[in-house]
Amino acid sequence: MVLPALAIYAFLYLYPALSNLAYALQRWDGVTKAKFVGLHNFVNMTNNDDLLHKVVGNSFKFTFFVVIFQTAASLFFATFLVKNTKTNIALRTLYFFPTILSSVSVGLIWTFLYDPNFGFVNAIFKKVGLNSFALNWLGSEKSSLYAIAFSQVWFHTGQMMVIYIAGLQQIPAELYEAAEVDGASRWQQFKNVTWPMAMPTTAVVVAYTTIQSFRAFDLIYSMTQGGPQNSSNILVTLIYNTAFSSFRFGYASAESILLVVVVLVITWLQRRVLRINTGEK
Amino acid sequence: MKRMINGVRPVGFMRIGLVTAAVAAVVLAPIARADSPTFGKSCTVQGLSTGIKTTDLVCQQDANGKLKWAKVFVGSARVKPAAAMTSPAGTIEFYHWRPEDKAVFASIISKFEAANPGAHITQVISNSVDYTNLAFAKIKADPKAAVFVTSRGGQFQQFYDGGLLRDISSERYVKQNVVSSALAPATVNGKVYGIPYQFLFNDPLYNTDIFAKNNWDVPANWSDVLAFCKKAKAAGYIPFAYPGATRGNAGQIMNSFMMNSAPDLATLTSRLQAIDTGKADLTSDWFTALAKQYKAMADAGCFPPNVTGYTDTSAAADFANGKAAIYPTGTFSISTVVGLNPAMKGKMKLMSFIAVDTKPTYQGIFNDTFILSVNPKATSRDQNIARAFISFLAQAPIAQEYAVGTSQHVSIVNVDYSSNIDLSNTSDIMGKNLMLAPRFIFNNVGTVRNPMEDALIAIAGGADVTKTLADTSKTIKQGLSG
Repeated sequence: MVLPALAIYAFLYLYPALSNLAYALQRWDGVTKAKFVGLHNFVNMTNNDDLLHKVVGNSFKFTFFVVIFQTAASLFFATFLVKNTKTNIALRTLYFFPTILSSVSVGLIWTFLYDPNFGFVNAIFKKVGLNSFALNWLGSEKSSLYAIAFSQVWFHTGQMMVIYIAGLQQIPAELYEAAEVDGASRWQQFKNVTWPMAMPTTAVVVAYTTIQSFRAFDLIYSMTQGGPQNSSNILVTLIYNTAFSSFRFGYASAESILLVVVVLVITWLQRRVLRINTGEK
Repeated sequence: MKRMINGVRPVGFMRIGLVTAAVAAVVLAPIARADSPTFGKSCTVQGLSTGIKTTDLVCQQDANGKLKWAKVFVGSARVKPAAAMTSPAGTIEFYHWRPEDKAVFASIISKFEAANPGAHITQVISNSVDYTNLAFAKIKADPKAAVFVTSRGGQFQQFYDGGLLRDISSERYVKQNVVSSALAPATVNGKVYGIPYQFLFNDPLYNTDIFAKNNWDVPANWSDVLAFCKKAKAAGYIPFAYPGATRGNAGQIMNSFMMNSAPDLATLTSRLQAIDTGKADLTSDWFTALAKQYKAMADAGCFPPNVTGYTDTSAAADFANGKAAIYPTGTFSISTVVGLNPAMKGKMKLMSFIAVDTKPTYQGIFNDTFILSVNPKATSRDQNIARAFISFLAQAPIAQEYAVGTSQHVSIVNVDYSSNIDLSNTSDIMGKNLMLAPRFIFNNVGTVRNPMEDALIAIAGGADVTKTLADTSKTIKQGLSG
């Protein structure tokens, strides 16, 4: 029984991963013969690639924004929709709906909404007299990354909300009853019961959101392709461009190894922090 | 048939012989009457022809540089176009990047299949960005991809280097059905590896109604351009619907900026190749001066507000709806504009975008692209289907169906554009001295051209010229050295 599973794993995961490692040690344009360059790609990534450094920074900013706001929003909605009433189920479906849309469609919709000259977002700001908030959302180096991050939050909050609801429904009702008997307010109940008891779910949501944010390719590619001036370029879009636009497959492989390492380290750190908070060893 | 010289289509080149009967009726005939075209006699308007038959005449420069009426020779071999080849039975795939041409190709394919029972062709279509990035990998891995297109420059070179282009030099339809000068971008060491099917003009389109209504002349030099922008903006129009958020189409106007920026094409080519290979950077005086022209246009109000976030979708819509006077892309955008607003049919012409105040050498840009090729990795039967299909596309009535249906000029002889008014209206640029689009000289598109165009867009959006060019040069050099 183990052998077929191992064979599938080796063929679908191990072999591509090892091949990627081998490509990372080569200079290859995808057409002509590859040349072995040892660790040159990794050295170059460290010493001679300002674009990569900028993009790594963008990836962290993007992920940080999405993890914070997506986690907060999904937990917020989950706490209100945790009971299985008809209204709540209808609202859950509504909030979950964006998740089932194609990411490219979502990107196109938000590109239209963000249009600086006739988009809905700026129209609303102008309508209520907040003209200074009517920005060149996707065309400005200052705002493009965060504008896409907001779209990402909108896109996936419903998905994380469902995970949170499943977690919150596991919290024993007696704990809330006891808190009520002790005279705890809604906020105190949340702080002392919901939040600590939801920590294992939070760990899953945060880890999943982090990985999801680091590989948010479709949305960025369909909205800005990483522009303007690489201000919304993150690691996955850079890897794609390095491989398929610049035809530097070896270098792109090295960048993809960096991506894996970064995601592994962050996920490990998150788990450490959340374990400390929950008292797990 | 004349060949292109250093990438420049000679004045009065033979493709003029293909200009429509409608143009001949509306434009050429009155001039012809005035000039009384006679073989060998002087003429005054470069590029004008009296028709499309081999007995017709075209006004072109002779060896002494004088304008004379010469014979139109539409095909390279000066013989009758070759008939379409017969296809064996079988199914192949046709890869291309024009979703907007799907219906027209479907109609043509059904005719091909009717003429060749048992032969089937499936279109595999991507958008142009995805096609640029992924076509090579997909076609290399797909033996059924027997016929496909490449764009001129880097992509064609990539396919050539990868051995994915069959030598079709000896095919009769190549020698007899294609305007010979158009074959240059698909020719390597004297061998032809494809047919550049589309004959595009990457020059700004202008709305003739807006210009007529406001009594404006089309800007004829750089000072005119800047003065026009102020005038058009004051009148409430977007002077140039420059799509700064869509690099592909925003990059087209760079061709026009470049065409008269160097003393000659050889110098320009050598400067661009130096940038492409990292031997020169964007901080050179020449490129800085060019970048400053983007800034000058921005300062003159030529571009829409928030130009770096202004998508091509918005630009096309603004132009189609009469909010923008000029849409600086090219003839390939005509069908999109007409699709958005059918009332625009017949209201577009091409502008010679002259970015100098001195007498310009070149008055417009053209490109021979959408290069149809046969995949040598396909089975010989599939290659024969592909050859037959290309020979079918190279028949004048079929090429005409494609041209008229998609509003694209083509490189096939004896095509009559008269049933498409937009093609007729834009055909007059063929009489001008045109440069083969320099934008496609770049082979390092991802590492060099894309960041370079991004820098120009940023400058159009108000970024500092010196800092932007210095930063981008550094990025390019690091990319090339890595």
